[in-house]
Amino acid sequence: MIRRYLGLMVLLAVLRAAGRLARIALATAVVVAAAPVSLMAALAVTLAWRGGWPPRRLYLAALACLPMVAVWLAAVAVTSRSAWQAAGAPYHAWLSSWHQVAAGSAALAATTIAPVAIPLGLAVGGLAWSRRIYAMETGTGGIFPTSPAAFQARQWRHQVRTARARIAAPGSVPLVSRRGAIVAGAVIRASGHRAADLAMIPYERLRSHQVVIGTTGTGKTTLLLRLWAGFLTRGLQLHAAGAGRRPLLVVLDCKGGADSRRVADRVRRVLRGAGARFTAVWPDEASLSLWELPAAQLTTTLLDMIEHGTGAAAYYADVMEAIVALAVGAPGGPPTSAADFLGRLDAGWLGLAYAGPGHGDEAALLRAASRHVTDIALRFRTLFRRLGPGLDGPGSYGDADAWYCILEGTADVAVAESQARALVDLLAHYAAHGSGAGREILLAVDEFSAVSRRLPIWQLYERARSLGLAAQVSAQSWQGLAPDDDDRYRLAATADGGIWLLRTPYPEPVAALAGDQPALDTSRRLLGVPRWGREGSSRVRGEPVADPALIRRLDVGQAAYVYRGGVTFVQVKRLIAVPAALAGPLPAEAAHRAAPLAGSRLADRPAGPGVPDAAGPPSWPKAPAVEVTALLDEAFGPEPG
Amino acid sequence: MDASAGTTDATTASGRLTERDIAALLFVADMYAVQLDQLAAVLRVTQTRARAAALSWRRAGYAETARLGPGLPWLWLTRSGLSACGLPYRAASPALSRLAHLRAVTAVRLALEAAPAYVAAGAFWRGERRLRARAGGRVGLREHIPDAEVHWPDGAPVGFAGECWAIEAELTPKTVARTAAIMHEILARTGDYGCPAGQAQVPGAPPRHARVVYLCSAAARPTVTRARATLPGAAGTVEIRGLPPGADMGEPPRRAGGRTR
Repeated sequence: MIRRYLGLMVLLAVLRAAGRLARIALATAVVVAAAPVSLMAALAVTLAWRGGWPPRRLYLAALACLPMVAVWLAAVAVTSRSAWQAAGAPYHAWLSSWHQVAAGSAALAATTIAPVAIPLGLAVGGLAWSRRIYAMETGTGGIFPTSPAAFQARQWRHQVRTARARIAAPGSVPLVSRRGAIVAGAVIRASGHRAADLAMIPYERLRSHQVVIGTTGTGKTTLLLRLWAGFLTRGLQLHAAGAGRRPLLVVLDCKGGADSRRVADRVRRVLRGAGARFTAVWPDEASLSLWELPAAQLTTTLLDMIEHGTGAAAYYADVMEAIVALAVGAPGGPPTSAADFLGRLDAGWLGLAYAGPGHGDEAALLRAASRHVTDIALRFRTLFRRLGPGLDGPGSYGDADAWYCILEGTADVAVAESQARALVDLLAHYAAHGSGAGREILLAVDEFSAVSRRLPIWQLYERARSLGLAAQVSAQSWQGLAPDDDDRYRLAATADGGIWLLRTPYPEPVAALAGDQPALDTSRRLLGVPRWGREGSSRVRGEPVADPALIRRLDVGQAAYVYRGGVTFVQVKRLIAVPAALAGPLPAEAAHRAAPLAGSRLADRPAGPGVPDAAGPPSWPKAPAVEVTALLDEAFGPEPG
Repeated sequence: MDASAGTTDATTASGRLTERDIAALLFVADMYAVQLDQLAAVLRVTQTRARAAALSWRRAGYAETARLGPGLPWLWLTRSGLSACGLPYRAASPALSRLAHLRAVTAVRLALEAAPAYVAAGAFWRGERRLRARAGGRVGLREHIPDAEVHWPDGAPVGFAGECWAIEAELTPKTVARTAAIMHEILARTGDYGCPAGQAQVPGAPPRHARVVYLCSAAARPTVTRARATLPGAAGTVEIRGLPPGADMGEPPRRAGGRTR
């Protein structure tokens, strides 16, 4: 009995081994018989593996070959004058190629079978690659248990390498696509979004609110520059075609300091290349006039610029409001400058202004509050001294295509808060009542939370929305987006133009906004490639579309664009500010010396002489100073006698 | 417009604009119009190649060329070209009455830009067209706008760093009184062109122009010299020189390092 049982077991084992060998032999025979297709499929899978391509790319390549197949079949039909011959052409080509190989003409054989082998090979390669990815994603592929994780990490590296190669190729990543979308860079990986080579953001999304989060040194400025330049370029294109309003970019850089000025210089050069004819750097080179606001708004803004206490201090706030309203609304018209306004904060001046008939109420109010006028004047005098001349005009947002406003949020928070308040009020007034109604305005705010104590960021957001402005808020971290979680979630949730995440230590809240995708956990046993055991169970769970761990590991210049439940990882293409120097090639020494300003030669210079350069004094090499006479003599000859 | 960063001398065969093409287009836009030999000097190529570049710009719709007077053809930017350059100027062919003056101003600019000190300082030429564009419709009837301003950046290795100069090219003599009035207006000006009228000349404010440079023809020189003499203290702020070679119509321009054939 035992012998029979053992014999049966051996017989079964032999049959199984024979069956397996037969399957292998059959598969090998098919692979060898279809060698051209097999080789092409292997090549396609190898290329897809190396480039980190999605299978869709191979399918599209196979589809792209169909016209070639059609032409080939048509040529066969025409030359043989038989449709039947054309139908059998693939078989005849296959047969001929084998005969040609046997005759030693491998190249001729490849040419003969190419119209059939290339599309079929690409399609088969796509299927095989798709199968491989599926196996790895479900954890059933690979030799070792760690193989799926290693596969994913390797594929990420391959995808990054491909994206970097794409952005390094000259001319491969234009700023604006043919259809008018802004190209941010090359796609590394997409999940929930359409897979494409280039990350293209429709212009309309830049006309909606966006959020950008990334720590220092991750390429945030590079990304922002690209988005701003794209906004201006596309906006100007539409405007020139009569299909849109002229764009206006207003950037509030709330950090301040030398770094902001370096960025401002870069912004100006890049935007110049994008078509901006004038980029104003506030307050270093350009000014705005607070006094253009209508009287009622001016009063509110002036009061908001001064910090008030709470509790008993509310009384003084009311007194201040009364005095400021009297000074602004004086019968002669609102003040036209800070000096004019300060001159009015005088009991004598106000008394004279409201001495005429019909101003009894104002005169009574003034008498009651006159003892506080001197204190109020002192506070405003101090405020204007600290603010500097940046808000004292002349100038308006309409004077430039782009404004880069530097607020010293790091060095002097109180001043920066006042400036932010005034700048936003001016922009709101310009957009709602001035010629700004005819402009497409993008308000980009960098580190606004640094100055948002007196102007909550959600208020800015809501206000921008009501005025038809697009707001783009950027911060170094989720926590830096707004002072509290409610505001942060409100900002992120209303960013209908998408959220850009660069490397940041805490991406979870934003990654969660991208939503989940179904992922399967199963305890069923895999018996073979197509067969699963019946024991065990499966459970569908949600997996973040935007993997926070991946975002945490992003390299410099890489960003995740979260939009409508999907995420696209992008290798951002850096915009180079091409110096448009008028002079031709300089001698080496002169070129070296002229380099610091070469980029700004054609940019609009400061409106007046002696205005400090945006990037601070350039480091000029020590050289003997040239005198006027020497220069003029050299250029035009000596003064005629 | 695809701004290639290539270094070819003229528009490439593919029709894309090189960096030098863009610089030259901006130059032409700022100068209203230039003659072909001056364009060759700007591009630092021969006239034959400059002609080819002009032809390619014309085909692209960026520029227009025509023989407007004696000598070589003139080239100016069309509306499409100005739009491509992002310049808010009104497109128009140069007026016949201004051709000589335009050529003289362009020659002055070329001569000045050829000076090593100008290049090393990174000075900026702000032409009359740019000044007028900035002023918009706010130029007063009697207000004089110089042919150009030259801005010398702070910290440049020149003794006049931070200054702003006014440039005047004088071909024909005006009256001494009128010339002196213009000199006085330029030197007394404190505000930028296009600023509110009240800021144009503010007593006590620093003057906008540190000096005025007059480039005169032989005919205009005596008048300008006499006008300067009538202004007290103008000797150090009004510089008078002759027009550079190539300023006259039909005379080839001179530019250091340039090839003119």
